[in-house]
Amino acid sequence: MTDRASFLAAIRATPRGEDPGLPDRIQAPDAPTELRAGESPVERLVAETELVSAEPHRVARASVGEYVAELLRASGSTEVALTEDLAAQLVPIRTACEAVGVHADDYRVVATDRARASRLHATVTGCAAAVAATGSIVTTAAGAGRAGALIAPLHICVVEETQIVDGLHALFDGEALAGAGSLLALQSGPSRSADIEKVLILGVHGPGVVHLVIVGD
Amino acid sequence: MDTGEVIADHVGVPTVVLFPTCLGDVVARQTVADAAQVLARLGFAVRHPRGATCCGQPAFNSGHDVPARAVARATLHALDDGSVDPILVPSGSCTSMVRLHWRELFHKTDDAEAALRIARRVRELSSFLAEQSSAIAALQPRLTARVAYHDSCHMLRELRIREEPRAVLATIEGVELVELAGGERCCGFGGTFSVRYPEVSVAMADAKLQELEPAGIDLLVSADPGCLMQLGGRLSREGSPVRAVHLATVLAEAIA
Amino acid sequence: MSVQEEVDGTPLPPGWSAPAHQPGAFELPTTTFRERAERTMARPFARTAIAGATDHAAELTWLKFEGVDHDGLRDQAKQIRAHAIANLPDYLEQWIDNAEANGTIVHFAADEVEARRIIAEICVDEQIASVVKSKSMASEEVSLNSALEGAGVDVFETDLGEFVVQAMGDRPGHVIAPILHRTKDEVHALFSEMAGRELPNEAEALTAFARAGLRHAFLTADGGISGGNFLIAETGEVMLVTNEGNGRLTTAAPRVHIALVGIEKVIPRRRDLPVLLPLLTGHGTGQQITTYVTITGGPRRGAEPDGPERTHVVLLDAGRSALLGGEFEEALHCIRCGACQNVCPVYRQVGGHAYGWVYGGPIGAVLTPLFRGQEEGGEVAQATTLCGACDDICPVRIPLHDLLLGLRRQRAEQAQTPRREQLAFAAWGAVWSRPRLYRASTVVGGAALRVLARGDAVSTRLPGLRRWTDGRDLLLRRGRG
Repeated sequence: MTDRASFLAAIRATPRGEDPGLPDRIQAPDAPTELRAGESPVERLVAETELVSAEPHRVARASVGEYVAELLRASGSTEVALTEDLAAQLVPIRTACEAVGVHADDYRVVATDRARASRLHATVTGCAAAVAATGSIVTTAAGAGRAGALIAPLHICVVEETQIVDGLHALFDGEALAGAGSLLALQSGPSRSADIEKVLILGVHGPGVVHLVIVGD
Repeated sequence: MDTGEVIADHVGVPTVVLFPTCLGDVVARQTVADAAQVLARLGFAVRHPRGATCCGQPAFNSGHDVPARAVARATLHALDDGSVDPILVPSGSCTSMVRLHWRELFHKTDDAEAALRIARRVRELSSFLAEQSSAIAALQPRLTARVAYHDSCHMLRELRIREEPRAVLATIEGVELVELAGGERCCGFGGTFSVRYPEVSVAMADAKLQELEPAGIDLLVSADPGCLMQLGGRLSREGSPVRAVHLATVLAEAIA
Repeated sequence: MSVQEEVDGTPLPPGWSAPAHQPGAFELPTTTFRERAERTMARPFARTAIAGATDHAAELTWLKFEGVDHDGLRDQAKQIRAHAIANLPDYLEQWIDNAEANGTIVHFAADEVEARRIIAEICVDEQIASVVKSKSMASEEVSLNSALEGAGVDVFETDLGEFVVQAMGDRPGHVIAPILHRTKDEVHALFSEMAGRELPNEAEALTAFARAGLRHAFLTADGGISGGNFLIAETGEVMLVTNEGNGRLTTAAPRVHIALVGIEKVIPRRRDLPVLLPLLTGHGTGQQITTYVTITGGPRRGAEPDGPERTHVVLLDAGRSALLGGEFEEALHCIRCGACQNVCPVYRQVGGHAYGWVYGGPIGAVLTPLFRGQEEGGEVAQATTLCGACDDICPVRIPLHDLLLGLRRQRAEQAQTPRREQLAFAAWGAVWSRPRLYRASTVVGGAALRVLARGDAVSTRLPGLRRWTDGRDLLLRRGRG
């Protein structure tokens, strides 16, 4: 078996190619994944969310619980899990769910039983950030868990307007990802495949329906 | 034609060298004659370089640098005649070989300097003609046809010549230029590729040619004899009424 | 078969025991490119589908970068990749240190044989009886599936296309779209046979069938195996992109996660991703971003609600370090987006299988001779027209045209080209380097062709000419006709 030392020694023994260097900080690139000058982050997030086939909703803080509960009820979801990154919205959502007869468990509890997790109709998560230019929700292992955002056919993500970052540059260059834990994840719309004759199918291994509930004051 | 004779000479007029290339010497003689005729009508004295053979590309692109260098050297010495007259090549691919790849082929040889000298003099024919657009227009070229222009890959992507041949076609009254879907896609010639993988090569030609009939094309024009050998040869085999012709031929016909 | 237990009250359908993967993908076939190409070209659907899908993908890519400085972005990406590869030993050490600090167990595979053995041994040590697998080209390189089956491990490919490939005993035909060359009818027949009943012949229903079965596999598998799109040195993380979500689930549901990643995938920092990620996804599928971007750094930590108990990363060399500092180093810059395949006019006709090994299209024509050697894999470098379309689209500006030419040169220098070809070029060089002989050859050749011609066209199928004249006339153009 090759060990670390001999593996690396073999690589070090090779000649060194030309090194163009690398700037310490890379400026926000001129890329489709960044905001254009003068664009509103929240409006771009709404537009990109639609482009990736997810559904954006702009909701006032006071009514988030009821709004989410109604989305769940309307979809016929009865087995629901909530993740801890919902933070201050966790209790209002759970309370509102109970009021409309939707049973909402803690994801932490459900996740201990893979079979039970797979029976979930929906998960509701918060996020660590949302990326305006790509319509992405950013979740972490410490927050929504690894599979919290994609284990069920329906995913609702609650995004605070203050969590919206402009583009990928702001996301990876900023502080939004501190304390992510063992996994950092971007998801942009429902799970999809076009493997069979290029026909787009939503909801392959992850959710087929994704809602972004964007919370503002 | 490799006699070094002066095709058209008038004291005091600018002189150009017309390098026929090997395809021009074997299968595309008419193209070379047409190019010479057009240039003469535009008032240039046209010389053919004595002793020029081939640019060496068939061997170079197959990885056989030794014979490629030997052949290219003969042409290099023939072209390096001490003058500064532009060397015109009726082939984008051969131009690209001489302009861009000879420096690599002759790198660290006694001919390195001469190769650079020639690289500076060599010009792809259609881009040279494009500079003469007003002189061409003054000859009132006229030809009624729906025309598709096929970009030669080396001309398009190595020399970055795209608009120039189209500009030349635009000087001809009666020419209706149509851009085809996939117009910039390779025709499948690829030099020796065409005989290493004939079935794939022909299929690639067909992918292009199938666009012609729906678009009602009469003339398929290119500025590379290799592409024309491929596309014209396939059209002929299929009994198509569409002609594949060099830009120089179209011009020669239009100003006849 | 550990997955045949009941989950959620529903037994697995009978066809759902782990499908057999083709054996022997490890070896290059002894056929020629020409022979393999003919097989694909004989299937009209495959040709139409490949052409249609690649044209569409290339168009989406160009559209995606309209209005932004595409070339400037490619320059930045090239710089990041070139810097990372020039400093590969340092960045790898940094990655290893950080990954180990995250709790990742790092393994070192000098070649494909070792990669197979290491992963088989991990499966034994971790008591893994079945694995779910997310699409990985590196695992194709080492023929991992057959090694796992040999070790008694059930393997489920979970990417929809890869699952079909596996169940058919086929091989992926495209880096991004593995079953580009397969019809819906073929998938329908396969899944109906597995289901033991006639399924609706619609993509949605077929996908749902695969999802249901694969969900069982996800819930019961002991291990998850993935590749990795990037190794982030600064954090010791592995990044994965998928659209279906199978990549994320592979790292989330099973008890053990194993990633097999080529050493060249290392990049310095997370903050290089804003350049590399849009190029990878924009050139792969024409998407702004893939649906799932997953960056994993080791096993589940402390209070996290889910995740694997242990994560292993197997670093794969297998011919990569041999390219460092040499003429072909830039081949290591590749981020496996597949864009060069999408614009390749040859790939468009023949598909991925014609290239004989794991990678097709221009990058396949470069990597196959480099990773498998000239003698075994050198022929495919000839199978391009050097049209340069790949150079224009490559997101990290790999000079594929130059690399192909260099490989052809190397092949000729090593005398790996057929003897007949060497003799032909030597003779050609001897004659055409002498203007008088050249002149004579064009006169004689021209005269001979005129004898053979009817009108302006030579169409005779004489032995020396038939590779041209079987499909084309040779036009002499004596007049302007």
